[in-house]
Amino acid sequence: MLAYIVRRIIATIPVMGVVAFFVFSLLYIAPGDPAAVIAGEQASPADVERIRQNLGLDHPFMVRFGEWVWQILHGDLGTSIFTNLPVTTMIRQRFEPTLSLMAITLCFTIVVAIPMGVLAAWKVGTWIDRLIMAFAVFGFSVPVFVIGYLLGYIFALELEWLPVQGYTPLSQGLAPWFANLILPAIALSCVYIALIARTTRAAMLEVLQQDYIRTARAKGIGQRSILFVHALKNASVPIVTVIGIGIALLIGGAVVTESVFAIPGLGRLTVDAILRRDYPLIQGLVLLFSFVYVLVNLAIDVLYTLLDPRIRY
Amino acid sequence: MDRRTLLKSVANASMLAAVGRFPAPALAQGASARTLHFVPQANLANFDPIWGTQYVVRNAAAVVWDTLYGFNDKLQPQRQMVESEDLSSDGLTWTFRLRPGLKFHDGEPVLAKDAAASLARWAVRDPMGQMIIAVQQELTAIDDRVFKWVLKKPYPKMLLALGKNNTPMAFIMPQRIAKTDPFKQISEYVGSGPMRFVKDEWVPGAKAVFVKNADYVPRQEPSSWLAGGKEILVDRIEWIVMPDPATASAALQNGEIDWWESPIPDLVPMLRKSPNVRVDIADPLGNIGSFRMNHLFPPFNDVRARRAILMAMSQEDYMRALVGDDTSLWKSLPGYFTPGTPLYTEEGGEILKGPRNLDAAKKLLAESGYSGEPVTCLVAQDQPITKAQGDVTADLLKRLGMNVDFAAIDWGTVGARRAQKTPPGQGGWQMFHTWHAGADCVSPAPYNAIRANGDKAWFGWPNSPLVEAEIAAWFDAEDLDAEKAAIKRVNKAALDFVVYAPTGFFLSYQAWRNNVSGIVKGPLPFFWGVAKSA
Amino acid sequence: MSAPKLIVPPHIAVAHAMPDLLPAGKPRRGMIGFLRRHPTVAVGSALLILMLLMAVFAPYLATIDPTALALARRARAPSRDFWFGTDMLGRDIYSRVIYGARVSLTVGFSVATLASVVGLAIGLVSGFVRAADAVLQRVMDGLMSIPPILLAVALMALTRGSVGSVIVAITIPEIPRVSRLVRSVVLSLREQPYVDAAVVAGTRTRAIIQRHILPNTLAPMTVQATYICASAMIVEAILSFIGAGTPPTIPSWGNIMAEGRALWQVKPFIVFFPAAFLSVTVLAVNLLGDGLRDALDPRLAKGL
Repeated sequence: MLAYIVRRIIATIPVMGVVAFFVFSLLYIAPGDPAAVIAGEQASPADVERIRQNLGLDHPFMVRFGEWVWQILHGDLGTSIFTNLPVTTMIRQRFEPTLSLMAITLCFTIVVAIPMGVLAAWKVGTWIDRLIMAFAVFGFSVPVFVIGYLLGYIFALELEWLPVQGYTPLSQGLAPWFANLILPAIALSCVYIALIARTTRAAMLEVLQQDYIRTARAKGIGQRSILFVHALKNASVPIVTVIGIGIALLIGGAVVTESVFAIPGLGRLTVDAILRRDYPLIQGLVLLFSFVYVLVNLAIDVLYTLLDPRIRY
Repeated sequence: MDRRTLLKSVANASMLAAVGRFPAPALAQGASARTLHFVPQANLANFDPIWGTQYVVRNAAAVVWDTLYGFNDKLQPQRQMVESEDLSSDGLTWTFRLRPGLKFHDGEPVLAKDAAASLARWAVRDPMGQMIIAVQQELTAIDDRVFKWVLKKPYPKMLLALGKNNTPMAFIMPQRIAKTDPFKQISEYVGSGPMRFVKDEWVPGAKAVFVKNADYVPRQEPSSWLAGGKEILVDRIEWIVMPDPATASAALQNGEIDWWESPIPDLVPMLRKSPNVRVDIADPLGNIGSFRMNHLFPPFNDVRARRAILMAMSQEDYMRALVGDDTSLWKSLPGYFTPGTPLYTEEGGEILKGPRNLDAAKKLLAESGYSGEPVTCLVAQDQPITKAQGDVTADLLKRLGMNVDFAAIDWGTVGARRAQKTPPGQGGWQMFHTWHAGADCVSPAPYNAIRANGDKAWFGWPNSPLVEAEIAAWFDAEDLDAEKAAIKRVNKAALDFVVYAPTGFFLSYQAWRNNVSGIVKGPLPFFWGVAKSA
Repeated sequence: MSAPKLIVPPHIAVAHAMPDLLPAGKPRRGMIGFLRRHPTVAVGSALLILMLLMAVFAPYLATIDPTALALARRARAPSRDFWFGTDMLGRDIYSRVIYGARVSLTVGFSVATLASVVGLAIGLVSGFVRAADAVLQRVMDGLMSIPPILLAVALMALTRGSVGSVIVAITIPEIPRVSRLVRSVVLSLREQPYVDAAVVAGTRTRAIIQRHILPNTLAPMTVQATYICASAMIVEAILSFIGAGTPPTIPSWGNIMAEGRALWQVKPFIVFFPAAFLSVTVLAVNLLGDGLRDALDPRLAKGL
């Protein structure tokens, strides 16, 4: 097992290499000149050129790529072109809000979606099943920002139960931290809930047909126990898979949610950086996201072994 | 009254009763009344006002650094850090004496050598500063409080250059920081102004924090824009960046923010109706919308094509697209200079007045030789002002029968592409949109966009010796009457030649909570004199 | 028992006959019978066909030129002349929404088709050519690890906004998932005895692909394509929201919403109508996908 984990971690290196090269090339050929934006409206082309030189933007592709890779290998993600702050600092500042948002969304989703799927599977074919699945499909279909605006309008502006925007760090209290994140988490989780509820239902139905369930029922084991202990455990592999895939989707949705609720997170940071062409920042962030994705997949593969003892690496 | 405000006011009322007239700053409960939450017009992406010349950087810098002179609300430079100045009789030697007791935020005194170094760095990036160093003999500190600037030719507008609010402003920094290459960012933010910048709490793109500088000694005069005594009446100002105007509007109504620099006009009626929110004009000098044509290539290298555009365009359409249905927010602009200022003139502006004549415009366009080539129009989608103008222009060109190549890109790409002098089919451009702060258009001095000196001119590269001659005549004008006469000729020449197409003059609002006082109208948000009651 | 290391596409994972959201009618034969047995497919396709018709006949259904500015009547509430109101530049929202169907549907279908075709090609190569497989899989892994929206925004930054660039920008992040699906089908089918037999008998690879591989990929790929289509339409809206979508001269549901988002508190109709149409269309496509997955033999999907 340990050997497997080590092997997997080593295998991530070529993947990260591909990501790094791809992103770097993409940005290299993208039009747009951060030096021009920085130089401002009054600057002459000579001024802009001097700024470009100072930022090292006039070096050829391989030189810049090589320098960047060399820096990364030394743990240095570079310095943001616009703010002159280290990329690691900028990521560190905005890491907690995004992480908090993801965590709450994930918890909320699991707590809501899995019982939904189990219920639908149990009552398959009845109106409950149909209602739940209709709800799930609906969650798929409405854009995140529309849900976000609606929630904000109802709960923050009209009822004033919750703040409209912003983020309070956990260090300033659990209640305010949570209050700022509830609405964005609900908005973000709609799509995710739909996905997981459907997968749960499908997996559960598959399992509920198995012989061992029939045996368990024959043995007189209670319905709830059958559902949650015997069936769910066996159905968990595809569910966990989907949760893993969904994390990449979540980051995309987080961009929008962070914008609507003014949460200072990594999603917004990345979009702003892309639009401004803050190359070192974009590169650092994309590497971070890829790394997280790879780690999550690894964690899920490891989780498989816990959930399904037949799986061994 | 909503629950939230009720609770808050009860808490504060009881505390006021206990403590006396004002809550002491040290009390935690009173802290919220001493922190001002401000939503700026844009993100504070960097904090070097000489290197990065965006308006929002200047606005933040104005509260952290002080200047030698500052404009008052009549746009006249007044002494700030300077105690007295002296100009030699031949007009070539400026001697400045600093006020006593000025200190930087690290406790060091402000010395003449700091001022000299700061001015040297500023002058490299500033158009007026560049004019000064072009005729500079030397800029040296004589002793701790006196420095002199010796020129080879007189530059009568020196105080204007040092006190102007146009970016870059001549901020005074410590010499060691001012020695940084003007094309590189500074990394230390040691200020000389009434507030300190808290670098540790700066989250670019989200939040910036300023705290009151207890050691700052304001001047004794009442404050007037950048002049006079800059007294800070709150402990802490938090800038919160909000990308979504709907969110900012809701937050203002909720009391989560106190002051919104630029609410979008369509939301203003709703804000006005809100009992706790006040709305007023932000900057009486407003903004001038513009789209610039490329004078190097067809079709706009022919003045007839440019004039055809002016004939057909409706400034009302542009202005409504920018500021909505509120007619008090815009004026048509038959010229290039800011309405409401001494040098405003409408001379030569008939082409922009009166009903629009599309047929005559089409005829003139045909005369110029236009025959259906694609016209590449760069429109930045992520800036609301350029986006709105771009939509109107696309419609205008279509109605003129022109073939529009609409390039929907972002502001950064516009910045890169507009600098290209290549022909339009090969990555060049024929039109792009922008706007200028009215404060930058009060006279030809800070006004790069009106120059027509060909290669050295602003993007579009208009080339008109006549316009340049008239501008030079303005620079040489001795008094206000002579200036006014000269400006009239500048305006007419520039309109006849169509240096660029002004789309109109528009104002914007600012909005704040009832419990915030001291907010004034001005070309940038002034934080001195602003207080927040419970 | 070998470990399920393949990431099975969620929508296909362990499919069971998903009963319709609507109760099935009396069974009958042929197409009508099919639709009666699978009302979800019926409803989904009906809605989708409605939207398609709306898009095709847009010039007849729209009341006025959707790009015509009329600033004198900007941001007016719905009225007799302007059924859905006007936007911030005075354009008629109803006409823009009708025409917007064209862009959204075009984006949806094009992305689904393009991603399927390219993904199929890559998946086939990956499945058959061992050497290429290792390289391609690393590349696909790399692509998949970049959040799709961010990748799309970055791709849009390469060029100006247009329907074509939006389509390419949304397609590229979807390709890895399709290629994975195809690859897993190829890999599992290669073990099957009849395919083995074909190979031994000397059948050319192309014939194997045509006769054995393709028919087996068709069902799951079709289902996946519908989900890609639905997702693409939502992503287009999000790209417009961020400011990296189609230019405003071409109305799409996404950019109508994006332009009106700042005003949704005072003029909610600007966001509401395109949102409603988009949601209904995406819902229709999703229903279609669900129904198809049920109708096409689910055991095929399970065999992955």
